[in-house]
Amino acid sequence: MPNDPKSRESDSSGGKHTARNIIFAAGGGLALVALGSLVVELGLAPAWLTGEPVQKTAMAQKPRDDLFHPPDTASIPDDEFGAAVQRGMAIFTNTGTNASDHVGNGLSCSNCHLDSGRQPLSAPMWAAWVAYPKYRGKNKQINTMEDRVMGCFTYSMNAQGSPSGGPPPHGDDIYRDLESYFYWLATGAPTNEKLDGSGFGKVEKPEQGYDLARGEAVFAEDCVVCHGPDGQGQKDLNGRYVFPPLWGADSYNWGAGMARIDTAAAFVKHNMPLSQPGKLTDQQAWDVAAFLDSHERPKDPRQKGSVEETRKAHHDGDETFYGKTVDGRLIGVGMQASAAAKAPEED
Amino acid sequence: MNRYLPLSILALAILAFATLMLVIAPGIQIDARNVPEGLRNYTQAEQNGRDVYVAMGCVYCHSQQPRSPDQAPDGERGWGRPSVASDYAFDAPHQLGTMRTGPDLLNVGARLPSEGWHLTHLYQPRAIFDWSIMPAYPFLFERKDRAAPSDTVVTLPPAYAPESGVIVARRDALDLVAYLRALDRTYPSPTDALRDDGYASGPAAEDPNASEGDS
Amino acid sequence: MFGRKSKSDHPRPDENFEPYEEFSGIPMPVYWIAIALAAWGAFMLYDTGKDVTLAQDERVEERAVQISADQGEGGNLFVANCSTCHQPDGEGLRGAVPPLAGSEVLAAGPEIVARILLRGIDGPIRVGGDDFDGHMPSFASALNDDEISRIASYVTLTFGETDAKLDPKRVADLRHEVGDAGSFAGGAELATIVTSMPPQPPHPAPTAADAMTATVQDLVFAGRDDVWACASCHGDLGQGGENTPRLAGQPAKYLTKQLNDFRDGTRDNESMQIVAAGLSDAETAALGAYFATLRATSNASPNLSADLARGERLALQGDWSLGVPACFTCHGSSGFGVAPDFPALAAQHAPYTASQLAAWAGGGRQNSPLGLMSQISQALSSQDRRAVADYLASLPPVPAGRTASAQEGTSNAE
Repeated sequence: MPNDPKSRESDSSGGKHTARNIIFAAGGGLALVALGSLVVELGLAPAWLTGEPVQKTAMAQKPRDDLFHPPDTASIPDDEFGAAVQRGMAIFTNTGTNASDHVGNGLSCSNCHLDSGRQPLSAPMWAAWVAYPKYRGKNKQINTMEDRVMGCFTYSMNAQGSPSGGPPPHGDDIYRDLESYFYWLATGAPTNEKLDGSGFGKVEKPEQGYDLARGEAVFAEDCVVCHGPDGQGQKDLNGRYVFPPLWGADSYNWGAGMARIDTAAAFVKHNMPLSQPGKLTDQQAWDVAAFLDSHERPKDPRQKGSVEETRKAHHDGDETFYGKTVDGRLIGVGMQASAAAKAPEED
Repeated sequence: MNRYLPLSILALAILAFATLMLVIAPGIQIDARNVPEGLRNYTQAEQNGRDVYVAMGCVYCHSQQPRSPDQAPDGERGWGRPSVASDYAFDAPHQLGTMRTGPDLLNVGARLPSEGWHLTHLYQPRAIFDWSIMPAYPFLFERKDRAAPSDTVVTLPPAYAPESGVIVARRDALDLVAYLRALDRTYPSPTDALRDDGYASGPAAEDPNASEGDS
Repeated sequence: MFGRKSKSDHPRPDENFEPYEEFSGIPMPVYWIAIALAAWGAFMLYDTGKDVTLAQDERVEERAVQISADQGEGGNLFVANCSTCHQPDGEGLRGAVPPLAGSEVLAAGPEIVARILLRGIDGPIRVGGDDFDGHMPSFASALNDDEISRIASYVTLTFGETDAKLDPKRVADLRHEVGDAGSFAGGAELATIVTSMPPQPPHPAPTAADAMTATVQDLVFAGRDDVWACASCHGDLGQGGENTPRLAGQPAKYLTKQLNDFRDGTRDNESMQIVAAGLSDAETAALGAYFATLRATSNASPNLSADLARGERLALQGDWSLGVPACFTCHGSSGFGVAPDFPALAAQHAPYTASQLAAWAGGGRQNSPLGLMSQISQALSSQDRRAVADYLASLPPVPAGRTASAQEGTSNAE
């Protein structure tokens, strides 16, 4: 064969090899790109490599997966028990109407127990359910859930200013329905265990303590838009409270846990401003909690004699303004529940 | 590859099949649609404006075919629901367009119903959007020392106003704006609508508004 | 033909020498590329294929929900349209929303209920011995004849214990008869057609007229030398369209703040910045007050083809796993807004709501107090934003009437 390709090849072998190497290198590169894109598409590549932004969440702390999750409302059973759960939920979110005889202010349970009592660190009811009965120093006895809820009505809902003048009596259907709701929320939760996310959490008192002037500044900056410049909340055009009042006649009374600065600070730190929990520093939370708990509110129903005596009996310590003097006024004397709690308002 | 007869027949058959499937069948489908209830024909002025639109070549930068939400966020842009074939019942030739150098205009009359705004914008887009790359159409307007009672004076920010006198719109500009304001296909899409529904095609992909049409 | 001639049994010899004409295997990299591309293609096909079926499933479900709501005996419709105010148990809200259970109005039969649904109520009303402010929207634009007939029959049966069915055709007649009569002027006007109603509180004299000054009239309807008329884009009644927002019934101070923000450059929108540039503080305040008093039936519709059920959930309950509280927690029980900082959302155009949520998420709009909306919008996916915009567009608009005073007055002054 005169025209043997091999002999020809050697003539131009240098150039041919280079071309071939380039083609091979380019092909291999393309293959690597294709494989790489497959890896990226599958989401196997780490974020530092792809440069994809990490998913932002509105919460300062990402929602924690390790917390207990109450069941979805869609799964409330369609039977007698489910009906009680529904009634309990209705009382919880619309307390002023569905337990109207026993509510002496403008609040609902769900004002402090956010997301209808489901939100961690806003005293979720699934965590409360598995923690009772328990001994409470507040009334120095074993408390059942019913006793505890009765306390809520007495203090946080200011039952003394309600049409009936007191909390629902023991054995009332209101307790049955509410407890059914709590029990259902705690479906699958371990009993007699302190669950993560229970209560309002704790915020240690900062070194600088608390200060009303600083608190007022925080209030003006971060709270006024919803709760109003005078802390009285805001209503919609039908007169329904959209934002709850923080002090004054339509708010919780002096016996409520929220009237204590440490409790209010923990709630504020972990839940406020709404949708921006953790925005305030510990210091700001304490300052603003002190500011709102330095205002007058309905009187403590346990107060029989003077404020001074009641302070000794129930409000000792530095975490409350009860019985102290602010701007020359004695705090804790209480104020009458407004007409709003009893009858519709004329404006 | 040199049997020319079968080759020719095959080629013609392929062509005929393509014509049947891509031209004739869709034509029959579209012809069977009624004009939607909310759609009316263009008035004379609007039709004139449409001719200006065609003559100016607006179609080279503006489409008239909002896409399904699975394809593009046109709904969130305010460009309207995905268009259906019968939305173009009175459009001959249609101005669907393929380029989106500017926004889609099929519903511009619904989102920008202001005659004054459109006149300003046509006279000088930069008077409103300093970043706009749309050409100005000053030749559709004229400067007058004083507007006659029948003239439509163009509202202009001081920086773009003439040193003296006023800018008034010519007939063509008014007609074009009338046409743009008539571009409004926000009525619910007909229940028998034909449309490209993107990924979400299927029996369930009817427009959710359709069921509320009688409210 | 000539094709046959060239057919030969043996291969022709090479005519020209071709140096590279030899058998060579396909180079390895080509195989790699082919395999890698095939794998990638198969994955993409599988992945997007999943999206298709997912989207279809969602739509099928959504339709199923709609159908079941359509065919329910009014109960689902009641829950979807009435229960945020009157509550699922019909007990209403003490001091704010009248109860249905035991109401004299329901005892009067479903036709009266249908009339109220069609017209809405604006004015004080006494129900069950208690007085209420009485602001109920008109559902004429939100519900069709069939839905109104079923809700009316349902509530009269459930809460009024009157077993009378209302025919959708009768609702059509009523709709025609009512025309644009506007809302019932409180219980006083209702009492003229419901004889069993107790004495009703007097209806306050309307005070809306003074909001319309000559300046406002000029700005709204005629514009100025360098400013277009408000009504030319937002409509004669402030109803808006697509991504031009509805202004009717918004809190006056909210509108004023937005105008001032446009003027000061803290809110971006080229057209509105031009309009607001020439307005004085007094004019922005007057315009805000004017639009707050307007009432317009809803011309918005859920036209973003999004998941309405998800939107409803976000509006009523929020999604706390994303850190997003319910819209209505701040914007009021039915999205009617809370003066002065929280605008009405009900009946707002879906493209406008969605575009604003997107602008907040992307940083294009930053003028919400405390950055509340920025953070919330960022937490929402674009599907969520569309869903909630669609749901809000399906709601009846804020009831107006003496809204200017009502919206500003109920905040905390009393």
